Amino acid sequence: MFKNNIKIAWRSLKKQPFFTFLNIFGLAIGMAGGLLLGLYIYDELSYDKMFADVDRIHRINADIKFGGELNTQPEVSAPMAEAVLNDISQVEEVTRFRNTGAVLIKKNGDVNSFKEPRTAYAETSMFSLLGLKLLYGDTSTALDEPNTAVISKSLAQKLFSTENAIGQVIDVEVYGKYTVSGVIEDLPKNSFLQNRNLFLSMVGYPDASAGAWGSHNYYTLVKLREGAQPNDIHQGLNAMVGKYVIPYVQRYFPGITLKEFEESGNYIKYSTIPLTDIHLYSDRSPEFSPNGTIQNIYVLGAIGVFLLVLASINFMNLSTAQSLKRAKEVGVRKTLGSDRSSLICQFLTESGLISFGSLVLAVGIAFAVLPLFNQLSGKSMVIPFTNPVFLVILVVATVFLGFFSGSYPALFMSRFVPVKVLKGGSVQSLGGGKTRSILVIFQFAVSVLLIISTLVVYQQISYIKSKDLGYAKDQVLVVEDVYLLGNKRKVFKEQVKAIPQTKQATLSSFLPTPSSRNDNSFLLNENRSQERAVQMQEWQADFDYVNTMGLELVAGRDFDSRYGTDSMAIIVNETTVKKMNSTLNEVLGKKLVDINQGNGELIYTIIGVVKDFNFETLHSEVAALGIFPSDNAGRMAVKMGNGNLDGTLAQIEQLWKQMAPGKPFSYYFMDDSFNQSYDAEQRLGQIFMIFTLLSICIACLGLFGLAAFNAQKRVKEIGVRKVLGASVSQITYRLSMDFLKLVFISIGVALPLGWFVMNRWLEDFAYRIDIPWWSFPLAALIAVIIAVLTVSYQSIKAAIVNPVKSLRTE
Amino acid sequence: MLLQLNNIFKWVTTGGQRIFLLKDINLEVEEGEFISIMGPSGSGKSTLLNVIGMLDNFDEGEYNFMDESVHSLKEKHRSNLYKQYIGFVFQSYHLLDELTVKENLEMPLIYKKIKGSERKAMVADMLDRFNIVGKKDLFPAQLSGGQQQLVGVARALIANPKLILADEPTGNLNSKQGEEIMELFKQLNEEGVTIIQVTHSEKNAEYGSRIINLLDGRMV
Repeated sequence: MFKNNIKIAWRSLKKQPFFTFLNIFGLAIGMAGGLLLGLYIYDELSYDKMFADVDRIHRINADIKFGGELNTQPEVSAPMAEAVLNDISQVEEVTRFRNTGAVLIKKNGDVNSFKEPRTAYAETSMFSLLGLKLLYGDTSTALDEPNTAVISKSLAQKLFSTENAIGQVIDVEVYGKYTVSGVIEDLPKNSFLQNRNLFLSMVGYPDASAGAWGSHNYYTLVKLREGAQPNDIHQGLNAMVGKYVIPYVQRYFPGITLKEFEESGNYIKYSTIPLTDIHLYSDRSPEFSPNGTIQNIYVLGAIGVFLLVLASINFMNLSTAQSLKRAKEVGVRKTLGSDRSSLICQFLTESGLISFGSLVLAVGIAFAVLPLFNQLSGKSMVIPFTNPVFLVILVVATVFLGFFSGSYPALFMSRFVPVKVLKGGSVQSLGGGKTRSILVIFQFAVSVLLIISTLVVYQQISYIKSKDLGYAKDQVLVVEDVYLLGNKRKVFKEQVKAIPQTKQATLSSFLPTPSSRNDNSFLLNENRSQERAVQMQEWQADFDYVNTMGLELVAGRDFDSRYGTDSMAIIVNETTVKKMNSTLNEVLGKKLVDINQGNGELIYTIIGVVKDFNFETLHSEVAALGIFPSDNAGRMAVKMGNGNLDGTLAQIEQLWKQMAPGKPFSYYFMDDSFNQSYDAEQRLGQIFMIFTLLSICIACLGLFGLAAFNAQKRVKEIGVRKVLGASVSQITYRLSMDFLKLVFISIGVALPLGWFVMNRWLEDFAYRIDIPWWSFPLAALIAVIIAVLTVSYQSIKAAIVNPVKSLRTE
Repeated sequence: MLLQLNNIFKWVTTGGQRIFLLKDINLEVEEGEFISIMGPSGSGKSTLLNVIGMLDNFDEGEYNFMDESVHSLKEKHRSNLYKQYIGFVFQSYHLLDELTVKENLEMPLIYKKIKGSERKAMVADMLDRFNIVGKKDLFPAQLSGGQQQLVGVARALIANPKLILADEPTGNLNSKQGEEIMELFKQLNEEGVTIIQVTHSEKNAEYGSRIINLLDGRMV
């Protein structure tokens, strides 16, 4: 019976190659899309799950409200780790990381160094806490000695051409020389330690044991004892404020109590987050590694499900559209003694065959476009062909999809009554039209929704790109690692400025595009109460900063070397003025005190105010910021003139090579860096675009099938109308309008939904567009045009048939 | 007695009015009979045939088939009954286009859940008996109308039915082909198969042992 079913299924599919192709193709597109999105989501959900006992590992967060500013930090103070271990009994183990950012390293004695972009100070406890093993070295002592380092297998290969690099010495520029005490397997890409190759021993780093409760720079993980819940330690964590932080603050505000501190509206709150939740749920800055967001998972998951449902619907529409051709067969089979269940079995066999055909094609498509998709999503996924669980899921999903898609056509067609269909008479009574219409409405509503989303995402992105950010990012070259030049930095800068094609240059680690950030709090000199304290970004830069970045002064003056006092002057932005409850005129000349310096206090005078410029992404409002004079910089930004950019770049590189032999010359352009900071949005935009196209494609296949079905069904009606004198265009219009009605209903459903959904998405941006009114008619128009093109082929085909032919059977 | 219809009524309601398709039909058919149903278009010939074949329901009356009362049977039992005892022959043959001659013949046997080896033997036997062994791997579209109807009859016969119902079996055939099919029916009848046919043709009706005339759903 089953063999027979397969045989018949195969033949009837072969008999209709075009429809079979449409069916398989539509389903395969949906499945390929679903497969890719499934891989993506699986990868995102798998973050950090590979560590031992990971359900007991949590990170400590700090929410700090001070100086009118709320900072949500993923990092806490250095002494927190020890305090947690001593004071909270539920904590079994604790380990800290301290990011150093990029460093330049070389094998000791080598001339050329290269950049290791992500490096951190770490402690020996990281191995036991995370359950990490070393290929070489001892996990219980690896980072116990000062100036030791643990490196990854691939870094060992790269530096020393051997995996066993124990005892070798790495020269880390500025940081010193480190002896390799352990080699670790390359760390998983889907973990917070991704792309990290170098861990320096924290033991020799004085800041780690200095006991400063005022700064928050240590990424601190705790492992709870078995059975302990994170809530159990929250009370203990927040007790740290009274026990340690306030005594520390009293150094600067003598006599302040916890009560006074809290009554002034300031607070420090500690909390925890499970390590495995960080990747998708944590939105704090600076994270240890770049994070995803759960919203994206939901969006992509929904798109994946939509695609599969669309493809399934498509299948139903195309199959039932075929039903007229199959009606006679059903009738004959029933008179030959077939019962309904064996007919259902037969149709399900057919849809099963189609869905397995689609699976093969889908895996092929997915395999072919995976490299592109990886590029788009910034991942390095592979299709896990050898994983039995994956294969089982794939087969089960395919069977389910085949069953789901085939169920409606099977139930529908097996219901035909032989007496009716064998007479070959009226086929209008076959029914099912309403269900098919609803399916098409659903398909088009989803498509219109996706069209609107794509339009809005693209408009928001282009708004961001063209928005006046308050600084000039074009043609600004950023040279990295100028700290390597030491005192020769200024000479380098002057020489670069001497190149005719450069306009201006400034030394600073701090740029409006992603770079260093430095948060600090200041007291007002005239009223040194903590209530009037100002929290702001403290950016060290030389005197040419305002000029080079194209910032606009709205009050006061720029730094000027003719004033001897300008080394203690600052320029603030408008937000700072607002935070100080001052005005542009009043604020000039006010003095701010920096008390966090070890060697006494520093008093700065405000000499100018710049217009607010967006130095974070447009997701957030502009924060308070001050520019402080300093030559102590890690980067140099060069404003280039028009003309031969490559030539100028070559000249700068030449200068660099003379002054820093053996050090890599690394640079980028500020507008590129700016664009990169909107990667996530651009990717989302592209993903939307691609899946919109796919879903429109699928929806069109469905509509095409329905149009074909409808035309068949109305052959007689069309024939009669033509005999009575209807023209081809009148008939085409009549047939097409039936479908356009459905499309109009879809549009009616999708437009308000699109407006709602996209407004929610835009809320995430502090600077956003109002959705322009014309997006809606445009989306509607696109849908209508596509629908008309799809339907008119079938309509015209049906309309030009000679009525003699269509009426002959009567 | 093979079957018995007592006071069978069938109607449709249009615009609040009952239109009778069958009106008070009383019919007894003995095994081995060859009956021809005649009458003008719309007189209810096909409807009667469909009722006898259990493809269609009736609204009133009793129908006994081999001592089973069809009117009180559930759908499932009814289909089992006709699956076992009745074979159908259609005016437009209704062979399955995507199956070969051999496979078309095999189809009713599959639905009767007969084993593969046995099916083969029965199909071979039937091909032999109808002299179409050479055509067994052809598809219906490759056969002439007469040949197709031959296959249609063979298919109706293969499961050894007690009764063959034929709805204008020669309606789509030319006179020579028609004659052949009628000869075949006559021969089958002589071998003991009961046949009920619907026909327009006086000549074809003559092949039967009894003629039933219908007019407006009534036997006259």
